[in-house]
Amino acid sequence: MPTRIEVALVAALVVACTEALAAEPVAPAHPLDDPAAVKAAFAARIGKPVHVMQFGFGEHYSDAIVQNDAAQDEFDRYEMVPGQPMKEGTPQKSGSVDCKKKIAFADLDLAAAARVLGEARAIAAGNGYKQPENVQLGADVFCNDFGWRAYLTSETNSDAMLEIVWSPAGASPKARRLKDDGWAKVDMKSLAAGTAKAPPAAPKNEPAPTPGDGRERDFTHGIEADLARVEAKVGAPLGFKHIRVDKEQLSMDVFSPSNKKRVATYLVDNKGEIRLWREDDTIPFDCNKPFSASDVPIAQLPAMIAGAPALIPPMAQGWVKDVSIYRSGLCGAPHVYIQVEDDRGYGNVEYDQRGRLVSAEVQ
Amino acid sequence: MFRRRLLFAFALVFAMHAVAADAPPAGDYAWPNLTDFLKQLIAKVGAPVKVYRLTMDRDGNVDLWIQDQQRRDLVDSYEYEKGVMSEPIPVKFEHYPSVGAVDHHVIELTTIDFQRLPGMVATAKAKLGLPDARVFRIELERGDSHGFLTYTDVPIWTIHVDTPRHDGRVEFSLDGKVLDADKD
Repeated sequence: MPTRIEVALVAALVVACTEALAAEPVAPAHPLDDPAAVKAAFAARIGKPVHVMQFGFGEHYSDAIVQNDAAQDEFDRYEMVPGQPMKEGTPQKSGSVDCKKKIAFADLDLAAAARVLGEARAIAAGNGYKQPENVQLGADVFCNDFGWRAYLTSETNSDAMLEIVWSPAGASPKARRLKDDGWAKVDMKSLAAGTAKAPPAAPKNEPAPTPGDGRERDFTHGIEADLARVEAKVGAPLGFKHIRVDKEQLSMDVFSPSNKKRVATYLVDNKGEIRLWREDDTIPFDCNKPFSASDVPIAQLPAMIAGAPALIPPMAQGWVKDVSIYRSGLCGAPHVYIQVEDDRGYGNVEYDQRGRLVSAEVQ
Repeated sequence: MFRRRLLFAFALVFAMHAVAADAPPAGDYAWPNLTDFLKQLIAKVGAPVKVYRLTMDRDGNVDLWIQDQQRRDLVDSYEYEKGVMSEPIPVKFEHYPSVGAVDHHVIELTTIDFQRLPGMVATAKAKLGLPDARVFRIELERGDSHGFLTYTDVPIWTIHVDTPRHDGRVEFSLDGKVLDADKD
Protein backbone atom coordinates (compact mmCIF):
# COMPACT_ATOMS: atom_id res chain seq x y z
CA MET A 1 0.00 0.00 0.00
CA PRO A 2 1.68 3.26 -1.06
CA THR A 3 2.08 5.95 1.54
CA ARG A 4 0.69 9.47 1.07
CA ILE A 5 4.21 10.72 0.39
CA GLU A 6 4.73 8.11 -2.35
CA VAL A 7 1.42 9.02 -3.98
CA ALA A 8 2.34 12.71 -3.89
CA LEU A 9 5.75 11.98 -5.43
CA VAL A 10 4.25 9.95 -8.26
CA ALA A 11 1.69 12.69 -8.93
CA ALA A 12 4.41 15.36 -8.97
CA LEU A 13 6.44 13.25 -11.38
CA VAL A 14 3.47 12.81 -13.73
CA VAL A 15 2.79 16.57 -13.67
CA ALA A 16 6.46 17.36 -14.33
CA CYS A 17 6.63 14.94 -17.27
CA THR A 18 3.38 16.27 -18.75
CA GLU A 19 4.63 19.84 -18.49
CA ALA A 20 7.94 18.89 -20.05
CA LEU A 21 6.22 17.17 -22.96
CA ALA A 22 3.79 20.05 -23.38
CA ALA A 23 6.70 22.48 -23.51
CA GLU A 24 8.37 20.61 -26.41
CA PRO A 25 7.23 22.04 -29.74
CA VAL A 26 5.99 19.39 -32.15
CA ALA A 27 7.05 19.50 -35.79
CA PRO A 28 4.26 19.71 -38.38
CA ALA A 29 3.40 16.43 -40.09
CA HIS A 30 3.70 17.83 -43.63
CA PRO A 31 6.50 20.41 -43.74
CA LEU A 32 6.26 21.18 -47.46
CA ASP A 33 2.57 22.05 -47.10
CA ASP A 34 3.09 24.28 -44.08
CA PRO A 35 6.56 25.88 -44.08
CA ALA A 36 5.34 28.62 -41.71
CA ALA A 37 4.58 25.94 -39.10
CA VAL A 38 8.11 24.53 -39.58
CA LYS A 39 9.60 27.95 -38.92
CA ALA A 40 7.32 28.44 -35.89
CA ALA A 41 8.39 25.07 -34.45
CA PHE A 42 12.09 25.95 -34.85
CA ALA A 43 11.47 29.40 -33.33
CA ALA A 44 9.71 27.87 -30.33
CA ARG A 45 12.43 25.26 -29.83
CA ILE A 46 15.32 27.74 -30.17
CA GLY A 47 13.58 30.31 -27.97
CA LYS A 48 16.12 33.13 -28.33
CA PRO A 49 17.36 35.54 -31.02
CA VAL A 50 19.70 33.73 -33.44
CA HIS A 51 21.18 33.94 -36.89
CA VAL A 52 20.96 30.98 -39.26
CA MET A 53 24.26 29.64 -40.62
CA GLN A 54 22.83 26.55 -42.35
CA PHE A 55 19.35 25.14 -42.87
CA GLY A 56 18.39 21.88 -44.56
CA PHE A 57 14.73 21.67 -45.61
CA GLY A 58 12.82 18.59 -46.84
CA GLU A 59 9.62 16.70 -46.14
CA HIS A 60 11.30 13.92 -44.13
CA TYR A 61 13.86 15.85 -42.13
CA SER A 62 15.06 19.39 -41.51
CA ASP A 63 17.94 20.77 -39.50
CA ALA A 64 19.51 24.11 -38.68
CA ILE A 65 22.81 25.38 -37.35
CA VAL A 66 22.27 28.70 -35.61
CA GLN A 67 24.41 31.29 -33.87
CA ASN A 68 23.28 32.79 -30.58
CA ASP A 69 22.92 36.57 -31.07
CA ALA A 70 23.80 37.15 -27.42
CA ALA A 71 26.96 34.98 -27.50
CA GLN A 72 28.37 34.85 -31.00
CA ASP A 73 30.77 31.98 -30.38
CA GLU A 74 27.85 29.71 -29.43
CA PHE A 75 26.50 27.54 -32.21
CA ASP A 76 23.77 24.92 -31.86
CA ARG A 77 22.22 22.38 -34.16
CA TYR A 78 18.47 21.72 -34.11
CA GLU A 79 16.77 18.83 -35.88
CA MET A 80 13.18 18.24 -36.89
CA VAL A 81 11.35 15.05 -37.87
CA PRO A 82 7.78 15.61 -39.07
CA GLY A 83 5.14 14.95 -36.41
CA GLN A 84 7.75 14.43 -33.66
CA PRO A 85 8.56 16.64 -30.66
CA MET A 86 11.65 18.71 -31.33
CA LYS A 87 14.60 18.01 -29.06
CA GLU A 88 16.88 20.61 -27.56
CA GLY A 89 19.72 21.84 -29.70
CA THR A 90 23.13 20.21 -29.53
CA PRO A 91 26.17 22.48 -29.03
CA GLN A 92 28.54 22.66 -32.00
CA LYS A 93 32.27 23.23 -31.79
CA SER A 94 32.94 26.81 -32.68
CA GLY A 95 35.89 25.70 -34.83
CA SER A 96 33.64 23.45 -36.91
CA VAL A 97 31.71 26.44 -38.30
CA ASP A 98 34.21 27.58 -40.93
CA CYS A 99 32.05 30.04 -42.82
CA LYS A 100 30.38 32.84 -40.88
CA LYS A 101 27.90 33.90 -43.58
CA LYS A 102 24.39 33.97 -42.10
CA ILE A 103 20.93 35.50 -42.07
CA ALA A 104 18.72 36.61 -39.18
CA PHE A 105 16.22 33.92 -38.21
CA ALA A 106 13.42 36.42 -38.89
CA ASP A 107 14.55 36.55 -42.54
CA LEU A 108 14.51 32.76 -42.99
CA ASP A 109 12.06 32.16 -45.83
CA LEU A 110 10.91 28.56 -45.72
CA ALA A 111 8.08 29.23 -48.17
CA ALA A 112 10.82 30.06 -50.67
CA ALA A 113 12.63 26.86 -49.65
CA ALA A 114 9.52 24.77 -50.35
CA ARG A 115 9.10 26.48 -53.72
CA VAL A 116 12.72 26.02 -54.86
CA LEU A 117 12.65 22.37 -53.76
CA GLY A 118 9.66 21.93 -56.07
CA GLU A 119 11.55 23.67 -58.89
CA ALA A 120 14.60 21.47 -58.33
CA ARG A 121 12.45 18.34 -58.48
CA ALA A 122 10.81 19.49 -61.71
CA ILE A 123 14.24 20.14 -63.25
CA ALA A 124 15.43 16.72 -62.06
CA ALA A 125 12.41 14.98 -63.62
CA GLY A 126 12.76 16.88 -66.89
CA ASN A 127 16.49 16.28 -67.31
CA GLY A 128 17.04 12.74 -66.07
CA TYR A 129 18.39 13.39 -62.58
CA LYS A 130 17.33 11.75 -59.31
CA GLN A 131 14.81 13.64 -57.17
CA PRO A 132 16.67 15.67 -54.51
CA GLU A 133 15.72 14.95 -50.89
CA ASN A 134 16.06 18.54 -49.75
CA VAL A 135 17.45 22.01 -50.33
CA GLN A 136 20.12 23.53 -48.12
CA LEU A 137 20.64 27.12 -47.11
CA GLY A 138 24.30 28.02 -46.72
CA ALA A 139 27.47 29.02 -48.54
CA ASP A 140 29.66 26.97 -50.87
CA VAL A 141 32.96 25.43 -49.79
CA PHE A 142 34.72 28.73 -50.43
CA CYS A 143 32.22 30.58 -48.22
CA ASN A 144 30.62 32.29 -51.23
CA ASP A 145 27.14 32.38 -52.74
CA PHE A 146 25.06 32.14 -49.58
CA GLY A 147 21.66 30.84 -50.65
CA TRP A 148 19.43 27.80 -51.14
CA ARG A 149 21.17 24.93 -52.90
CA ALA A 150 19.98 21.77 -54.55
CA TYR A 151 22.37 19.04 -55.70
CA LEU A 152 21.07 16.73 -58.41
CA THR A 153 22.77 13.43 -59.19
CA SER A 154 22.15 10.81 -61.85
CA GLU A 155 20.98 7.20 -61.42
CA THR A 156 23.03 6.05 -64.38
CA ASN A 157 26.17 8.20 -64.22
CA SER A 158 27.89 8.52 -60.86
CA ASP A 159 30.11 11.30 -62.27
CA ALA A 160 27.17 13.59 -63.15
CA MET A 161 26.17 16.31 -60.69
CA LEU A 162 24.16 19.50 -61.15
CA GLU A 163 24.12 22.31 -58.58
CA ILE A 164 21.37 24.93 -58.56
CA VAL A 165 21.64 27.97 -56.28
CA TRP A 166 18.91 30.48 -55.42
CA SER A 167 19.16 33.58 -53.26
CA PRO A 168 17.91 33.23 -49.66
CA ALA A 169 14.60 34.64 -50.93
CA GLY A 170 14.41 31.92 -53.58
CA ALA A 171 15.17 34.21 -56.54
CA SER A 172 17.87 34.47 -59.26
CA PRO A 173 18.59 30.78 -59.75
CA LYS A 174 21.81 29.75 -61.45
CA ALA A 175 23.10 26.30 -62.28
CA ARG A 176 26.36 24.56 -63.04
CA ARG A 177 27.39 20.97 -63.57
CA LEU A 178 30.54 18.99 -62.96
CA LYS A 179 32.54 18.70 -66.15
CA ASP A 180 35.95 17.05 -66.31
CA ASP A 181 37.73 18.42 -63.22
CA GLY A 182 35.76 21.67 -62.93
CA TRP A 183 32.34 23.27 -63.19
CA ALA A 184 30.48 24.39 -66.34
CA LYS A 185 27.54 26.82 -66.30
CA VAL A 186 24.17 25.47 -67.37
CA ASP A 187 21.40 27.67 -68.74
CA MET A 188 18.36 27.69 -66.43
CA LYS A 189 16.02 28.04 -69.42
CA SER A 190 17.44 24.84 -70.93
CA LEU A 191 16.95 23.09 -67.62
CA ALA A 192 13.36 24.33 -67.38
CA ALA A 193 12.73 23.12 -70.94
CA GLY A 194 14.25 19.73 -70.16
CA THR A 195 16.96 20.09 -72.81
CA ALA A 196 20.00 20.00 -70.52
CA LYS A 197 19.94 16.28 -69.82
CA ALA A 198 22.30 14.60 -67.39
CA PRO A 199 25.29 13.37 -69.40
CA PRO A 200 25.32 9.60 -69.93
CA ALA A 201 28.06 7.55 -68.30
CA ALA A 202 31.15 7.17 -70.46
CA PRO A 203 31.21 3.74 -72.12
CA LYS A 204 33.65 1.32 -70.55
CA ASN A 205 35.89 -0.16 -73.20
CA GLU A 206 38.52 -1.68 -70.97
CA PRO A 207 39.65 -5.11 -72.14
CA ALA A 208 38.68 -8.19 -70.15
CA PRO A 209 41.33 -9.28 -67.63
CA THR A 210 43.65 -12.07 -68.66
CA PRO A 211 43.01 -14.91 -66.20
CA GLY A 212 45.76 -16.18 -63.95
CA ASP A 213 47.66 -19.34 -64.82
CA GLY A 214 47.27 -20.96 -61.40
CA ARG A 215 50.90 -20.45 -60.41
CA GLU A 216 51.44 -18.64 -57.08
CA ARG A 217 53.91 -15.80 -57.48
CA ASP A 218 56.34 -13.79 -55.38
CA PHE A 219 57.39 -11.02 -57.75
CA THR A 220 60.55 -10.30 -55.76
CA HIS A 221 61.85 -13.61 -57.21
CA GLY A 222 61.47 -12.48 -60.81
CA ILE A 223 59.22 -10.60 -63.22
CA GLU A 224 60.53 -11.50 -66.68
CA ALA A 225 57.87 -14.10 -67.50
CA ASP A 226 55.05 -11.78 -66.47
CA LEU A 227 56.44 -8.84 -68.44
CA ALA A 228 56.31 -11.13 -71.47
CA ARG A 229 52.69 -12.05 -70.72
CA VAL A 230 51.71 -8.35 -70.46
CA GLU A 231 53.54 -7.66 -73.74
CA ALA A 232 51.53 -10.44 -75.41
CA LYS A 233 48.30 -8.88 -74.06
CA VAL A 234 49.25 -5.39 -75.28
CA GLY A 235 50.34 -6.82 -78.63
CA ALA A 236 53.40 -4.60 -78.99
CA PRO A 237 56.80 -4.12 -77.31
CA LEU A 238 56.35 -2.45 -73.93
CA GLY A 239 57.58 1.12 -73.51
CA PHE A 240 57.72 1.64 -69.75
CA LYS A 241 57.35 4.80 -67.73
CA HIS A 242 57.46 3.06 -64.33
CA ILE A 243 57.60 -0.52 -63.02
CA ARG A 244 56.66 -1.35 -59.41
CA VAL A 245 57.31 -4.66 -57.74
CA ASP A 246 56.36 -6.12 -54.39
CA LYS A 247 55.73 -9.66 -53.24
CA GLU A 248 52.04 -9.64 -54.13
CA GLN A 249 51.77 -7.41 -57.17
CA LEU A 250 53.58 -6.26 -60.29
CA SER A 251 52.37 -3.01 -61.79
CA MET A 252 53.62 -1.08 -64.76
CA ASP A 253 52.85 2.23 -66.43
CA VAL A 254 53.18 1.66 -70.15
CA PHE A 255 53.03 4.23 -72.95
CA SER A 256 50.26 3.42 -75.41
CA PRO A 257 51.76 1.91 -78.61
CA SER A 258 49.38 4.05 -80.70
CA ASN A 259 49.46 7.30 -78.72
CA LYS A 260 52.60 8.35 -76.84
CA LYS A 261 50.58 10.88 -74.85
CA ARG A 262 48.58 8.14 -73.11
CA VAL A 263 49.82 5.89 -70.31
CA ALA A 264 48.09 2.66 -69.31
CA THR A 265 48.65 1.00 -65.95
CA TYR A 266 48.58 -2.80 -65.94
CA LEU A 267 48.42 -4.87 -62.77
CA VAL A 268 49.47 -8.48 -62.40
CA ASP A 269 48.32 -10.19 -59.19
CA ASN A 270 50.04 -13.04 -57.41
CA LYS A 271 47.85 -15.58 -59.28
CA GLY A 272 48.95 -14.13 -62.61
CA GLU A 273 45.74 -12.28 -63.53
CA ILE A 274 46.55 -9.29 -65.76
CA ARG A 275 44.21 -6.30 -65.60
CA LEU A 276 44.24 -2.86 -67.22
CA TRP A 277 43.66 -0.67 -64.15
CA ARG A 278 43.56 2.83 -65.65
CA GLU A 279 44.54 5.00 -68.58
CA ASP A 280 45.63 8.63 -68.26
CA ASP A 281 47.10 11.41 -70.35
CA THR A 282 50.79 11.97 -69.78
CA ILE A 283 51.74 14.91 -67.58
CA PRO A 284 53.33 17.81 -69.52
CA PHE A 285 56.98 18.48 -68.58
CA ASP A 286 57.12 15.12 -66.80
CA CYS A 287 59.68 12.60 -68.09
CA ASN A 288 57.77 10.88 -70.88
CA LYS A 289 60.65 9.01 -72.50
CA PRO A 290 59.90 5.26 -72.54
CA PHE A 291 62.42 2.58 -71.57
CA SER A 292 62.34 -1.08 -72.47
CA ALA A 293 62.96 -4.19 -70.38
CA SER A 294 66.36 -4.58 -72.02
CA ASP A 295 67.41 -1.13 -70.72
CA VAL A 296 67.41 -2.39 -67.13
CA PRO A 297 69.04 -5.40 -65.43
CA ILE A 298 65.79 -7.32 -65.03
CA ALA A 299 67.55 -10.69 -64.72
CA GLN A 300 69.60 -9.40 -61.76
CA LEU A 301 66.56 -8.03 -59.96
CA PRO A 302 65.97 -11.03 -57.62
CA ALA A 303 69.59 -10.92 -56.41
CA MET A 304 69.49 -7.14 -55.98
CA ILE A 305 66.30 -7.42 -53.92
CA ALA A 306 67.56 -10.28 -51.76
CA GLY A 307 70.82 -8.47 -51.01
CA ALA A 308 69.43 -4.98 -50.41
CA PRO A 309 68.90 -5.07 -46.58
CA ALA A 310 72.47 -6.22 -45.94
CA LEU A 311 73.80 -3.22 -47.85
CA ILE A 312 72.48 -0.83 -45.17
CA PRO A 313 74.41 -1.74 -42.00
CA PRO A 314 71.77 -0.86 -39.39
CA MET A 315 69.06 -2.58 -41.43
CA ALA A 316 70.58 -6.00 -42.00
CA GLN A 317 67.53 -7.57 -40.35
CA GLY A 318 65.16 -5.55 -42.50
CA TRP A 319 63.02 -6.62 -45.42
CA VAL A 320 62.24 -5.21 -48.84
CA LYS A 321 59.07 -3.12 -48.91
CA ASP A 322 58.86 -2.43 -52.61
CA VAL A 323 60.90 -1.89 -55.75
CA SER A 324 60.51 0.75 -58.43
CA ILE A 325 62.20 1.13 -61.78
CA TYR A 326 62.04 4.51 -63.49
CA ARG A 327 64.28 7.07 -65.15
CA SER A 328 66.60 8.74 -62.63
CA GLY A 329 67.01 12.47 -62.10
CA LEU A 330 65.98 14.67 -65.01
CA CYS A 331 64.93 11.91 -67.42
CA GLY A 332 68.24 10.04 -67.13
CA ALA A 333 68.85 6.33 -67.51
CA PRO A 334 66.40 3.96 -65.80
CA HIS A 335 67.51 2.99 -62.27
CA VAL A 336 66.30 0.39 -59.79
CA TYR A 337 65.14 1.78 -56.41
CA ILE A 338 64.67 -0.73 -53.58
CA GLN A 339 62.99 0.47 -50.39
CA VAL A 340 64.01 -1.47 -47.29
CA GLU A 341 62.03 -1.43 -44.05
CA ASP A 342 62.67 -2.62 -40.49
CA ASP A 343 61.07 -2.09 -37.07
CA ARG A 344 62.71 1.33 -36.78
CA GLY A 345 62.35 2.94 -40.18
CA TYR A 346 63.22 2.80 -43.85
CA GLY A 347 66.23 2.71 -46.12
CA ASN A 348 66.88 3.01 -49.84
CA VAL A 349 69.16 1.11 -52.20
CA GLU A 350 69.70 2.36 -55.74
CA TYR A 351 71.25 0.55 -58.73
CA ASP A 352 71.99 2.03 -62.14
CA GLN A 353 71.00 0.66 -65.54
CA ARG A 354 73.98 -1.70 -65.59
CA GLY A 355 73.25 -3.12 -62.15
CA ARG A 356 75.99 -1.11 -60.38
CA LEU A 357 75.27 0.02 -56.84
CA VAL A 358 74.71 3.79 -56.65
CA SER A 359 73.78 4.23 -52.99
CA ALA A 360 72.55 2.35 -49.93
CA GLU A 361 71.50 4.41 -46.93
CA VAL A 362 68.92 4.85 -44.24
CA GLN A 363 66.07 7.21 -44.99
CA MET B 1 76.70 3.29 -10.03
CA PHE B 2 74.17 1.17 -8.15
CA ARG B 3 74.04 3.77 -5.36
CA ARG B 4 73.46 6.58 -7.86
CA ARG B 5 70.66 4.62 -9.48
CA LEU B 6 69.08 3.90 -6.12
CA LEU B 7 69.25 7.57 -5.11
CA PHE B 8 67.70 8.61 -8.43
CA ALA B 9 64.86 6.10 -8.03
CA PHE B 10 64.24 7.24 -4.47
CA ALA B 11 64.12 10.90 -5.50
CA LEU B 12 61.81 10.12 -8.36
CA VAL B 13 59.40 8.05 -6.31
CA PHE B 14 59.33 10.81 -3.70
CA ALA B 15 58.59 13.44 -6.34
CA MET B 16 55.88 11.38 -7.95
CA HIS B 17 54.25 10.71 -4.61
CA ALA B 18 53.95 14.46 -4.19
CA VAL B 19 52.31 14.74 -7.61
CA ALA B 20 49.79 12.06 -6.77
CA ALA B 21 48.95 13.88 -3.56
CA ASP B 22 48.47 17.17 -5.44
CA ALA B 23 46.47 15.66 -8.28
CA PRO B 24 42.99 17.10 -8.72
CA PRO B 25 39.88 15.01 -8.09
CA ALA B 26 39.45 12.04 -10.40
CA GLY B 27 36.37 13.64 -11.98
CA ASP B 28 38.51 16.44 -13.42
CA TYR B 29 41.00 14.20 -15.18
CA ALA B 30 41.83 10.53 -14.87
CA TRP B 31 45.37 11.17 -13.64
CA PRO B 32 47.53 8.11 -14.23
CA ASN B 33 49.61 6.72 -11.40
CA LEU B 34 52.89 8.09 -12.71
CA THR B 35 54.62 7.06 -9.50
CA ASP B 36 53.92 3.44 -10.23
CA PHE B 37 54.67 3.74 -13.95
CA LEU B 38 58.04 5.39 -13.54
CA LYS B 39 58.97 3.00 -10.74
CA GLN B 40 58.26 0.07 -13.08
CA LEU B 41 60.11 1.78 -15.92
CA ILE B 42 63.25 2.52 -13.90
CA ALA B 43 63.26 -1.01 -12.56
CA LYS B 44 63.30 -2.20 -16.16
CA VAL B 45 65.64 0.19 -17.96
CA GLY B 46 67.56 1.85 -15.12
CA ALA B 47 68.73 5.45 -14.98
CA PRO B 48 69.18 7.78 -16.72
CA VAL B 49 65.78 7.98 -18.41
CA LYS B 50 65.77 10.36 -21.36
CA VAL B 51 62.32 11.27 -22.58
CA TYR B 52 61.74 11.73 -26.29
CA ARG B 53 57.99 12.30 -25.94
CA LEU B 54 55.32 11.82 -23.30
CA THR B 55 51.61 11.63 -24.08
CA MET B 56 48.66 11.13 -21.75
CA ASP B 57 45.24 10.65 -23.34
CA ARG B 58 41.74 11.53 -22.12
CA ASP B 59 41.51 8.28 -20.13
CA GLY B 60 44.86 8.80 -18.43
CA ASN B 61 46.71 6.19 -20.52
CA VAL B 62 50.37 7.05 -20.94
CA ASP B 63 52.68 6.58 -23.92
CA LEU B 64 56.28 7.40 -23.06
CA TRP B 65 59.03 7.35 -25.69
CA ILE B 66 62.53 7.08 -24.30
CA GLN B 67 65.98 6.91 -25.85
CA ASP B 68 67.66 3.50 -25.69
CA GLN B 69 70.84 4.22 -23.72
CA GLN B 70 72.61 1.21 -25.25
CA ARG B 71 71.76 2.27 -28.84
CA ARG B 72 71.25 6.03 -28.63
CA ASP B 73 69.85 6.34 -32.17
CA LEU B 74 66.91 4.17 -31.16
CA VAL B 75 63.73 5.17 -29.35
CA ASP B 76 61.33 2.81 -27.60
CA SER B 77 57.76 3.39 -26.56
CA TYR B 78 56.42 2.19 -23.21
CA GLU B 79 52.67 2.28 -22.72
CA TYR B 80 51.03 2.34 -19.30
CA GLU B 81 47.35 1.46 -19.01
CA LYS B 82 45.39 0.43 -15.92
CA GLY B 83 48.54 -0.07 -13.92
CA VAL B 84 50.26 -2.30 -16.47
CA MET B 85 53.39 -1.23 -18.35
CA SER B 86 53.94 -2.66 -21.81
CA GLU B 87 57.10 -4.22 -23.14
CA PRO B 88 59.21 -1.81 -25.22
CA ILE B 89 57.70 -1.10 -28.63
CA PRO B 90 60.22 0.01 -31.27
CA VAL B 91 59.44 3.51 -32.54
CA LYS B 92 59.55 3.68 -36.31
CA PHE B 93 60.53 6.98 -37.89
CA GLU B 94 59.79 8.03 -41.45
CA HIS B 95 63.34 9.37 -41.52
CA TYR B 96 65.97 7.77 -39.29
CA PRO B 97 67.19 10.40 -36.81
CA SER B 98 70.91 10.61 -36.16
CA VAL B 99 72.33 9.98 -32.67
CA GLY B 100 73.00 13.72 -32.45
CA ALA B 101 69.40 14.57 -33.31
CA VAL B 102 68.00 12.17 -30.71
CA ASP B 103 70.54 13.36 -28.09
CA HIS B 104 69.41 16.92 -28.71
CA HIS B 105 65.71 16.11 -28.69
CA VAL B 106 65.48 14.14 -25.45
CA ILE B 107 64.67 15.61 -22.04
CA GLU B 108 66.27 14.27 -18.85
CA LEU B 109 63.52 12.81 -16.68
CA THR B 110 65.07 14.45 -13.61
CA THR B 111 64.41 17.91 -15.10
CA ILE B 112 60.68 17.29 -15.45
CA ASP B 113 58.66 18.61 -12.53
CA PHE B 114 55.48 16.56 -12.69
CA GLN B 115 54.14 18.40 -9.65
CA ARG B 116 53.43 21.39 -11.89
CA LEU B 117 50.93 19.49 -14.04
CA PRO B 118 47.74 20.08 -12.03
CA GLY B 119 48.57 23.77 -11.80
CA MET B 120 49.22 23.93 -15.53
CA VAL B 121 45.84 22.33 -16.23
CA ALA B 122 44.16 24.97 -14.02
CA THR B 123 46.12 27.75 -15.71
CA ALA B 124 45.21 26.42 -19.15
CA LYS B 125 41.49 26.48 -18.37
CA ALA B 126 41.72 30.00 -16.94
CA LYS B 127 43.84 31.28 -19.83
CA LEU B 128 41.35 29.92 -22.37
CA GLY B 129 38.31 31.11 -20.40
CA LEU B 130 37.01 27.55 -20.27
CA PRO B 131 36.56 26.75 -16.57
CA ASP B 132 34.46 23.64 -17.31
CA ALA B 133 36.83 22.25 -19.94
CA ARG B 134 38.08 18.66 -19.72
CA VAL B 135 41.61 17.58 -20.46
CA PHE B 136 41.77 15.35 -23.52
CA ARG B 137 45.51 15.13 -24.05
CA ILE B 138 48.70 16.17 -22.32
CA GLU B 139 51.97 16.08 -24.23
CA LEU B 140 55.59 16.83 -23.49
CA GLU B 141 58.19 17.08 -26.24
CA ARG B 142 61.00 19.36 -27.25
CA GLY B 143 59.80 21.85 -29.85
CA ASP B 144 62.56 21.17 -32.31
CA SER B 145 60.68 19.12 -34.90
CA HIS B 146 62.68 15.97 -34.22
CA GLY B 147 66.15 17.35 -34.52
CA PHE B 148 65.55 20.34 -36.80
CA LEU B 149 65.90 23.49 -34.75
CA THR B 150 62.87 25.77 -34.60
CA TYR B 151 62.09 29.01 -32.82
CA THR B 152 60.93 27.03 -29.81
CA ASP B 153 63.90 24.81 -29.16
CA VAL B 154 62.78 24.00 -25.63
CA PRO B 155 60.77 21.23 -24.00
CA ILE B 156 57.08 22.13 -24.24
CA TRP B 157 54.17 20.84 -22.24
CA THR B 158 50.95 21.08 -24.25
CA ILE B 159 47.66 20.81 -22.40
CA HIS B 160 44.72 20.11 -24.73
CA VAL B 161 41.25 20.73 -23.34
CA ASP B 162 37.76 20.77 -24.77
CA THR B 163 34.16 21.61 -24.01
CA PRO B 164 31.08 20.80 -26.09
CA ARG B 165 31.61 24.16 -27.85
CA HIS B 166 35.37 24.73 -27.94
CA ASP B 167 38.77 23.09 -28.32
CA GLY B 168 41.79 24.75 -26.82
CA ARG B 169 45.44 24.18 -26.13
CA VAL B 170 48.01 25.92 -23.99
CA GLU B 171 51.76 25.42 -24.21
CA PHE B 172 54.02 25.72 -21.18
CA SER B 173 57.74 25.65 -20.61
CA LEU B 174 59.11 23.09 -18.17
CA ASP B 175 58.97 25.68 -15.38
CA GLY B 176 55.26 26.32 -16.01
CA LYS B 177 55.50 29.58 -17.93
CA VAL B 178 52.77 30.01 -20.56
CA LEU B 179 54.30 30.05 -24.07
CA ASP B 180 51.21 30.06 -26.25
CA ALA B 181 47.44 29.65 -26.02
CA ASP B 182 44.98 28.92 -28.74
CA LYS B 183 41.22 28.33 -28.77
CA ASP B 184 38.68 27.77 -31.49
